[in-house]
Amino acid sequence: MSKSRNGKKNAGNGRRGHHLFLLFMAGNGPNSKKALNNLRNLCREHLKGRFTIETVDVVKDFQAAVKNNILVTPALILVAPLPRVMVLGDLSDLPKVLAALRLSGSEL
Amino acid sequence: MHGKRRPIPKVPTQIAGLDEILEGGLPRGRTTLVCGGPGSGKTVVGLEFLCRGAMAGEPGVFVTFEERAEAIRLNARSMGWDLAAMEKAGKIAIIEARFPQVEVLSGDFDIQGMLAIAGGHAKRIRAKRIVMDALDVLLRIYNDLNRERNELFRLHDWLIDRKLTSILSVKTHHDNVKHVSQYEFLDFMADCVIRLDHRVVGQVATRRLRVIKYRGSGFGTNEYPYVFGERGIVLFPLTMAELTHQPLGPKVSTGLKGLDLMLDGGFRRASCVLVSGNSGAGKTTLACTFAQAACRRGERVLSLNFEESKEALISGMLSAGIDLRPSIRARKLLIQTAMPESIGSDGHLGRTIQALDSFKPNHLILDAVSACLRMGSERAAFDFMMRLISVVKDRGVTSILTNQAKSSEGDDEELSGIGFSSVVDAVIQLRFVETDQEVNRQIFVVKSRGSAHSNRRQSYVITDRGIEFPDRPRPPPDRARRAGRKDGRK
Repeated sequence: MSKSRNGKKNAGNGRRGHHLFLLFMAGNGPNSKKALNNLRNLCREHLKGRFTIETVDVVKDFQAAVKNNILVTPALILVAPLPRVMVLGDLSDLPKVLAALRLSGSEL
Repeated sequence: MHGKRRPIPKVPTQIAGLDEILEGGLPRGRTTLVCGGPGSGKTVVGLEFLCRGAMAGEPGVFVTFEERAEAIRLNARSMGWDLAAMEKAGKIAIIEARFPQVEVLSGDFDIQGMLAIAGGHAKRIRAKRIVMDALDVLLRIYNDLNRERNELFRLHDWLIDRKLTSILSVKTHHDNVKHVSQYEFLDFMADCVIRLDHRVVGQVATRRLRVIKYRGSGFGTNEYPYVFGERGIVLFPLTMAELTHQPLGPKVSTGLKGLDLMLDGGFRRASCVLVSGNSGAGKTTLACTFAQAACRRGERVLSLNFEESKEALISGMLSAGIDLRPSIRARKLLIQTAMPESIGSDGHLGRTIQALDSFKPNHLILDAVSACLRMGSERAAFDFMMRLISVVKDRGVTSILTNQAKSSEGDDEELSGIGFSSVVDAVIQLRFVETDQEVNRQIFVVKSRGSAHSNRRQSYVITDRGIEFPDRPRPPPDRARRAGRKDGRK
């Protein structure tokens, strides 16, 4: 599991308003790469300094896929804040993704 | 279809009858598509393929897209397979690949996650086989024919790369045009395509299996009936089974000295004997006399009764001086009764085969062939009889079939009623003969393959001591002459 913290170093999960994302990818598949790029852009724009993205390569770590029942990739899980949300696909439909992650409207 | 190509490597399924139809088994390291409507048994085919593989040292992965893993385990348990134990032993892995309904879809995706999970498990247990059950459910998430096809190609390549012998099952609805074109593609992709059909004919449910294609191999091209037995699927590839019949065995007493004389010693073991006659002529009595005598010799008899209940049969025979109860108590006689219309001919056949396997009788009595017509149609009854006799002969079991003749004459064509006389080895005819004062019963041996037999109509009566011959029956003509010489020398 690799972490890329784009917020401040001490950005803990418990902090109010902090978003923790788990992105399940399949190696360097084109739609996986696209999903990671889309997610990064989205976070930078809407969650400046309040997000952590962890990526999991299911090809290397199938147990993680088993644990989270990841059948299709790319798959994004919003781990915190609760409730958990899962979004499948390369995240190209921005309004749809924002709505699913509860980031449309007031959060902007 | 039966080319002279070099045989391709195959994996025996060990599903009863299927390997004969597939001329050895499924293509090794290739994909087989099993399609059929709901309830046709696709899951069971996959399960049996895996379980038999696991037992034979070829571990396998079961990916279920529709049912829960627990439901699959339960399903398997009803067939006598303990999946949980096989999972623990690392011989089988079940992957529940059910997509939660709530997820949000955005943009392009693929099934790499599922393949990673399946691949991980396959590696862990060193799987040689894989079953993907209800692939149609997986494809539903695409809602786009082109993406479906791309994913199927990806899946196909993935399976081939891993050299897994695979079964992909797909639910089909023949009335849905979109589905048909979808599965045409699947048909094209797979190396072997098996179609399961579950239909109702004459109000009786029947199941049929047909192999649509098999790249690089010949296969049985008929539709084959199948049933769910106690130990998985049982198919009846009739034409293949016929080749392995046991030869007719030595003589076995009919239980009647007089009839033994007429038949030059009795019936031949593993032969099929038809007892034909009008209602009340004593067909059942004759069959039960044989059963009782066999049981007393310590042999086992399976009696299938389609006409009356076990209690009615027992009490009916008591009045003719035949007490079947000791034989039943001694577990030498097993009486199985059923309404012919209750479960369909395939069901009856499956039930009988199970009884043959577990009880291992020496002889089988079927009372009556004429009642089998009620299994649905003449065709169903014919199929049932042909397959039953084939299975019975295969096991070297003597079969006594009774049949109610339509006319009092009981001419040859009507002896069987449903035209399976070619497999019948001996025919005993019972009939009434009217004279001025009374009606008498006569017995006549119409034919007896591989044996001399009397050419005379012999009178008999049914008393409270069973069937009796007022006049001593005559042996076959040449035997009579020999016997006569012997007597003369004395």
